[in-house]
Amino acid sequence: MLDRLSVTLSALADPTRRAILARLAKGEATVNEIAAPFDISLPAVSRHLKVLETAGLISRGREAQWRPCRLETQALKGVDDWLSRYRRFWTGSFDKMEAYIDELKRKERRK
Amino acid sequence: MSATLTDDELLITRIFDAPASMLFGLWSKPEHIKRWMGPSNFTCPDAEIDFRVGGSYRVMIKSFEHGENWFGGVYREIVPNKRLAFTFAWDNDGPSAGVETIVTITFEEKGGKTVQTFHQRPFLNVERRDSHVGGWTQTFEKLAAYAAKMTKEHSV
Repeated sequence: MLDRLSVTLSALADPTRRAILARLAKGEATVNEIAAPFDISLPAVSRHLKVLETAGLISRGREAQWRPCRLETQALKGVDDWLSRYRRFWTGSFDKMEAYIDELKRKERRK
Repeated sequence: MSATLTDDELLITRIFDAPASMLFGLWSKPEHIKRWMGPSNFTCPDAEIDFRVGGSYRVMIKSFEHGENWFGGVYREIVPNKRLAFTFAWDNDGPSAGVETIVTITFEEKGGKTVQTFHQRPFLNVERRDSHVGGWTQTFEKLAAYAAKMTKEHSV
């Protein structure tokens, strides 16, 4: 079973979907408006939108014909938090690595 | 929310006052790994390393507050003193669990010092690996700007 974060990251993995998100960053848009710059079919764009919607990266309006898509930033925040934890993990580790290198060099000099 | 919000990979570059061979040793030998792996309040009591391409590793870091945390993966690339790549995933049920990542580290020695470039990203599927193309950063700068704007509007 995929957890929430994996679903978000998988959705972000595709270049077309990233381009769709970039389009929506400029403001909400309909499926037709989103599809316009792409050399792919409307159903293909709809499938991408479905993936983005499932991942919580976009939401869609209720009106049957005019269903504008808009970017949802909460899922992206989840990715950001995940990365921040790793950044703290490695930055802390590399601080210790620096101290350990000093220790190794002192030992080398004593030989 | 910061500008890193919309990126999904980590890049940390650091210059160490040591030759590349020493740094490479710190990543490849368990007795060294145990001395530095983990954030400041953690110790690393356990590191089992099968250091060859296709070989796996398992490491445990421990703190009073968070207890024992295991992670591990498989070595995918080993070029002594130059480059190292391995998968990385947490064993436990924490918020980062379930997402396999790939870590790539390069070492570039200059005048006795070494630039270590550390890169980590999700390692989800073939699509993910193949989609690693240009234009990505630019796309997400726009997204980040949007997210920042949204945050501002919401906080007003």
